[in-house]
Amino acid sequence: MWKFIVRRLLITFPQIVLLSILIFLMSQFMPGDALTGMLDPNVDQSTIQEQRERMGLNDPWHIKYANWVSGLVQGDLGQSFRFKMDVSELISQRMENTLLLGIVTLIFTYLIAIPLGITSGRYNDTLLDQAITGYTYVGFATPLFIFGLVMLFIFGYQLGWFPTSGSVGPGMVPGTLDYWISKLKHVMLPALSMALIQTVSTVQYLRSEIVDTKQKDFIITARAKGASESRVYNRHIFRNSLLPIAAFIGWEITTLIVGTVFIEQIFGYPGMGLLFLESINMRDYSVVTALVLLFGIAQILGTLLSDIILSIVDPRIRIK
Amino acid sequence: MKKASFSKWLVAMMLLLLLVLAACSGDSDDESGDTGTGSDTDTTEGETDDEEGAEDEGDDSAEGGDDVFSIDDFATEKTNEGEAIEGGTLNFGLVSSSVFEGTLNYNFYSGDPDVQVIKWFDEPLLTVDENFYYTNDGVATFETNEEGDVFTFTIRDDVYWHDGEPLTAEDWVFAFEVIGHPDYDGVRFGNITNVVGAREYRDAEAEAETTYAAEAGTIEGLNIIDDKTLEITFTHATPSLMASGIWEYALPKHIFEEIPVAEMSESDAVRVNPIGIGPFKVESVVPGESVTYTANEDYWRGAPKLDGVTLKVVSPQTAAEALEKGEIDLVDSFPADQYVDVHDQLTNVEFLGQIDLSYTYIGFKLGSWDAENNRVKMDPDSKVADVELRRAMWYAVDNDAIGERFYNGLRWNATTLIPPSHGLFHDPSIETPTYDPDEANRILDEAGYEDVDGDGIRETPDGEELVLNFASMEGSDVAEPIVNYYIQAWNDIGIKVELLDGRLQEFNAFYDRVGQNGEDDPEIDIYQGAWGVGSDVDPTGLYGPEELFNFPRYESDENTRLLEEGVSAEALDDDYRFEVYSEWQELMVEEIPVFPTNYRAELVPVNNRVLNYNIEPHINPFIRHEIAVTQEDPVLP
Repeated sequence: MWKFIVRRLLITFPQIVLLSILIFLMSQFMPGDALTGMLDPNVDQSTIQEQRERMGLNDPWHIKYANWVSGLVQGDLGQSFRFKMDVSELISQRMENTLLLGIVTLIFTYLIAIPLGITSGRYNDTLLDQAITGYTYVGFATPLFIFGLVMLFIFGYQLGWFPTSGSVGPGMVPGTLDYWISKLKHVMLPALSMALIQTVSTVQYLRSEIVDTKQKDFIITARAKGASESRVYNRHIFRNSLLPIAAFIGWEITTLIVGTVFIEQIFGYPGMGLLFLESINMRDYSVVTALVLLFGIAQILGTLLSDIILSIVDPRIRIK
Repeated sequence: MKKASFSKWLVAMMLLLLLVLAACSGDSDDESGDTGTGSDTDTTEGETDDEEGAEDEGDDSAEGGDDVFSIDDFATEKTNEGEAIEGGTLNFGLVSSSVFEGTLNYNFYSGDPDVQVIKWFDEPLLTVDENFYYTNDGVATFETNEEGDVFTFTIRDDVYWHDGEPLTAEDWVFAFEVIGHPDYDGVRFGNITNVVGAREYRDAEAEAETTYAAEAGTIEGLNIIDDKTLEITFTHATPSLMASGIWEYALPKHIFEEIPVAEMSESDAVRVNPIGIGPFKVESVVPGESVTYTANEDYWRGAPKLDGVTLKVVSPQTAAEALEKGEIDLVDSFPADQYVDVHDQLTNVEFLGQIDLSYTYIGFKLGSWDAENNRVKMDPDSKVADVELRRAMWYAVDNDAIGERFYNGLRWNATTLIPPSHGLFHDPSIETPTYDPDEANRILDEAGYEDVDGDGIRETPDGEELVLNFASMEGSDVAEPIVNYYIQAWNDIGIKVELLDGRLQEFNAFYDRVGQNGEDDPEIDIYQGAWGVGSDVDPTGLYGPEELFNFPRYESDENTRLLEEGVSAEALDDDYRFEVYSEWQELMVEEIPVFPTNYRAELVPVNNRVLNYNIEPHINPFIRHEIAVTQEDPVLP
C-alpha cells in the first residue's frame, strides 16, 4: 500500500514540474500584459515602462521562469499586479469561499444522489424510476450556466429568497454567527444549482450499479438465507454499489478547490474560479500561474486520492 | 459483465463529454457577453479616463427595439420630489463584472472600480469647474505668483481625517514623497514630475536604497510654510497645472509613516480600514464585494444627511434587475446598451445622462514607431499617406446611422477630437466631413483614384491595386456588424478594405499590434479604437510626436506647434487657449490622421427616493453629503 502511494507521488513530481513549465510558457504567449489595461492618457507612459521594467515584464521567459521558480521554492508565489498584494494571501482569501461552496455542493449532491439512485435502482423500470431517469437525462442535457441563470432569476430575483451576488452581506463582522449565516445564505443558491446538475451522473452510476448488483449470485444467496428485503438492499446491495461512487470522491474533492468558473461568474461569487477568469482577462500572470499550478496539483492529488480510496474499499484492484 | 460495465462507462463518459463540450462553448458565450459589458470592457474598447472607468459599458448595444434616444433627453441632476427624511441608508451599486481590487486610496489605486469606492470616503483637496479647471473653494485654496509656476495653498482649519487628526500640509507633502519613492508600486509618478525636484528626490532615495519615504532627502519644490500652508514650485507655468494638473490628494502621514513604501499598498491602512477626509467613513470592507460606510459627522462641508451608504458590486447583467427590485438605489454607470430594453420597466428610477469623456475613432497608420529616437516615424509610402483618400473615407461613412441603428442614439456622430464634454474647448463651429458618398467619389476621382481594370474597385493614382487592412476589436455584440458596415461603406466608394486576419482582434492582441509597445504591425492600415480623454484637454498624450500612444504615427510641424502652444504660458489665458485648440481641431480635420466616429452617452439610473444627486464630474464628488432619501426603503415600480 505505502509502496504504491510513494510510487504514485514520485510520478506526480515530474508531472508537476512539466505542468509548471507548460503553464508558464502558455501564459507568456498571451498577448498583452498586466499593464495593457493602463492605456490611459492620464497615466504617464514612461511610468508604465518603468513599471514593466521593475516587474521584470521585459525579461526573457527563462529568466522570468527562473525567478518564479526560485520564489516558489521559498513559498513566495509573487505579487499580484492587479491587487497589489501577495498572491498567496489573495488565494487564501478566495479559498475559503470556494471550499465552502464546494463542500455545500458536495453535501447537496450526495443528499440528492443517494436516495434517488437507490430508489431508481431498486424499483427499476417502474414509473418512479422512469421519472428519476428522466430527470437525469434532462440534467445531462442542461448546460450549467443556463441553469444557473434560470435559478438566479427565479429564486434570486422573482421570489427573492436568496441573495443574488457576493459571498456575504455587506457590513458583517467576520467570526460572528450572523456572518456565517449570511455566508451560508449566499452559498445556498449557487451550491444547489450546481448540485442539481452535477448529481445526475452520480444518480445514474448508483442506479446502474444497483441494478447490476441486484442480479448477482450473492444477492440470491442472501435472499435464500431469508434476509429481509430491506436488509438485502441496505447491507448487501447498497454497500457494493457504492464502490464507483467512493472512487469518485477523490475527483470531486479537486473540484472543491478548483471551484467552478461558470457558477461563480453567474452568481458573482468571489472564489478561485472567478479569480482565475478575471486574472486571465487582466493578464495578472502571477495569479494565473499560481492558480493553474494549484489546480494542477489538486487534480493530481485528487486522482491519487481516488486511487487510494478505491484500493482501500476494493482490494481486488490494489496494485501489487 | 466486464464488457457491459465498460460500455456503460463509455456511455457515461460520452454524456459527460457532451456536457463538458456544451459547457465549453457556453463559457465562451458567457464570457464574450461579459467582456462586452464588464470592467474588462473598460479596456475592451477604450482607455478610460481613470475617473470614468465604466464608460465602455456603452459598447454593447441593443439591437432590439427601434427607439432612438438622444442625450438631450437626459438631465444631469436628479429631479427632487418629496420631502427628505432624517437619515436613511443609500445602496450604491458598483457595476463591474469583476471584484474591486481593494487598493482603497487615491495615491495607490489604478482606476475603476476602486475609485468608485474611494469617492465615498475621500475627496481631492481642490475642486474643479465644468472645464476641469481648479476653483478656489475646496479643502485647499491657493494663490499663484505672477509667472504662474509657484502656488501657495492654504488648507482649511476644519478638515480632519476620520480618526480625528487634523489634515496638514505635511500629509500632502507626504503623498508626493511616497509617490516619488522608488519603491512606490502605483502608476502616479508621472503626475508629480511637474514639481521641481521630484526626479532628483527619487534618484536620491534610490541611491540610498531607503525603505521609508523621504529618508534621504525631500522634494525641493515643496515648501511647508506652516501646518496649513504649502508652497509648491512647478517646473514651468502651464495651463495644464490649472486643469487638474496638480496632485491633489493627501496621504495621512501619521498612519503611513511607519509603513515601508513597498508595503503600503498591501497594508491594512489601504485595504481594510482606509481613512480619508470625505463625507462618509468606512465601517467595514468585504474584500472585492462590498463596503459599508457611516456618516462622518465632522465632515467640513456639513454632516451628511444620510446615516450611511452600502456599496456593493453588481454585475452588468443583473444591474437592471437589482435596480428594479430596489436592491440598489443608484449605480456608478449603467450599461447603456440595456437602456432600450429596461427603460419602460424601471419606472422607479430616473435615468440621468451626460456626454462621456471619450470618443470612438478610425485611425490611419501613417508610419511606425522609431524606438531608438523615441518618436514617431512617418512613412510617405504608407498606403493611406494620401490625405484625400482619408478624407474620402470619412465622407463615405454615416456615423449617425451607426449611433441610431446600433446604439439607439446613445452614441452619435462625432465631429472633432475634443469631445463636447470639454465644453470650453470643443469647437462646434468646425465643419467636418459627414456622410456624403457623392462627395467621397468626387474627391477620389479628383485625386486620381480610378477604377482602371473595371472591377468596381479603384486603383491608386499609379494604377496599382489598393487593398487596405482594417483592424478592430471584438467585445460587444455589435462589433462585427459595425465593422462590416464600414467595410461595405468604403466598398461602395470603390475602396477595397479587408478585415485584418478576417476576424476581430482580442483587446490585448489588438493594442499590441496597433503599437502599444512600439512594435507596430505593418499589416494594419486602418484601425478602429477609442480614447477616454483626460480631465486636462491637452491632447499631446495622444497626438504628440514623441508619444507612444500616437498610434497613427502622425506628426507635422503645425501639429507640434499647436500642441506646444496649448500648454505654453500664454495659454494661461482661456481665450488664447481656446483659439489654439480650435485651430488644432481644425487641423485634425484637414490632415485626418484619425477621424472621430462617435461620441457616447453615459447613463446613471437613480431611484426616485434619492434627492440631491448630480452626476456631473465637477459636482458629483462634492455633493455626497447632501444626498438624502424620501423614504426608508427604495421606491419599487
